Amino acid sequence: MAKTYQEINEKIASGEAVVVTAEEVIGIVKERGVKEASEYVDVVTTATFGPMCSSGAFLNFGHSDPPIRMGEITINGVEAYGGLAAVDTYLGATQPSQDRGIEYGGAHVIHDLIAGKEVHLVAKSQGTDCYPRKDLDTWVKLEDLNEAYLFNPRNVYQNYNAAINGSSQRLYTYMGILQPNMGNITYSTAGELSPLLNDPLLKTIGMGTRIFFGGAQGHVSWMGTQFNTACPRDDKGYPQTPGATLALIGNMKEMDPKYIRGAVYEGYGTSMFVGVGIPIPILNEEIMAFVAVENKDLYTNVIDYSVPKKAKPTLKKVSYAELRSGSVDINGKSIKTSPLSSLKMAREIAEELNNWIKKGKFFLQEPIQSFPMGNTIKGLEIKEGESR
Amino acid sequence: MTKKILLSFPQKATGQPMAMELIKTYHLDFNILKAFIDDNIKGTLLLEIKGQEADIEAGIVYLREHQIGVRDIESVVEVDENKCVSCGACTAVCAVGALEMTADWSLVHHDDKCLECMLCVKACPMRAIHAII
Repeated sequence: MAKTYQEINEKIASGEAVVVTAEEVIGIVKERGVKEASEYVDVVTTATFGPMCSSGAFLNFGHSDPPIRMGEITINGVEAYGGLAAVDTYLGATQPSQDRGIEYGGAHVIHDLIAGKEVHLVAKSQGTDCYPRKDLDTWVKLEDLNEAYLFNPRNVYQNYNAAINGSSQRLYTYMGILQPNMGNITYSTAGELSPLLNDPLLKTIGMGTRIFFGGAQGHVSWMGTQFNTACPRDDKGYPQTPGATLALIGNMKEMDPKYIRGAVYEGYGTSMFVGVGIPIPILNEEIMAFVAVENKDLYTNVIDYSVPKKAKPTLKKVSYAELRSGSVDINGKSIKTSPLSSLKMAREIAEELNNWIKKGKFFLQEPIQSFPMGNTIKGLEIKEGESR
Repeated sequence: MTKKILLSFPQKATGQPMAMELIKTYHLDFNILKAFIDDNIKGTLLLEIKGQEADIEAGIVYLREHQIGVRDIESVVEVDENKCVSCGACTAVCAVGALEMTADWSLVHHDDKCLECMLCVKACPMRAIHAII
């Protein structure tokens, strides 16, 4: 029997909702079967905690006296965008600082703000009739700002490549350090706990879905960039390659610094670890069957990152169970595998979201719009000629 | 027995025949694993010393009497548990399994296995791993 969002929310309000994590639900479905499990379980919590470069924060500092139209802006030495209105800015997570480079970047500033630390704000302007001030040098905390919210254009990738290095040189990449001569494989996923792998056809996750976002209650605001729902899928619909992505929004003032952390990838740059949890309402048997997926049935490709082209060769298709086992066999050689996203923290987030729902502090939001299926991604053509 | 110790020399303690004393008086063998030391500049020396337990203890007393700091070391890298998120990026470069994931996907540091290649320091995105010397 199908359930509605409203019925599930009523159960949450009365404390009767059955909420389990996407790992726990696997055993329940095995024991009871899809039909009975779908009647028993109301919500399945999914989560991930890993590096998500396409992230950043919109900040509004409030007006000084006399006021300034901030042009060049730095926060703790990290440049923020000066092309918005007078005291609005966007601080990108991967922006390196002018003094410490990638060791301290936008993501670290965002973490420090959420942690309540004072940050150094420096701004310059040409001065205008309405905004006469030409420079500003001060210290601010998150609580001093009018608005501060993360708006991450591309998070929670639905599946991602595993990386290997077929060259004779060590590589420093966003997939970590890759040892030469196929010395190791790295992968980044929460696998069977991953949000978008539990809802492969986006039946419940869409614009407006309420989520756990960095410790706050945030929302899915749009489809993420490079949204590829036309990706290759298995016969059940699970993506075999990078697929859907989500744009997320949430109030930094309600976040916990534990779940938003600056990261440094040696020789590559700054990134940000983002903690995201998404509840999946068990509306019917189809959705129940999807969330019961296991690592052994989720696949990705091992890609050679030493090839400096957009299209990198695939060496092997592997399941997440194989990757998690600690080694993968390629051409008769056993190659060590290592994760890059924290399953330990993802489990903690799934558990935390689970508690919020059980305690009636978090309710499900039905998407106000579903995302398109069959969406492809384009590349960028380099056209010759100076003017057109 | 074998023991790994980290010696720190204040400026005034440099220029003493420390090595000769350890060998001659205390009958200790040692390997210099890492050294940052010059005459008249403070420095550090990582030694693996081999000998009778009593001799090692007496040798350490001798060093301390000469203002040389002595610290027992298992591994030259330390993992800051407050910063570590157990992502696993360091395990990718640890060829000897000194850093590995447990069954519940927490990071564990077996410091006795560490060969001091220091690659984990670079590999850690949280900068939670640092070298003692």
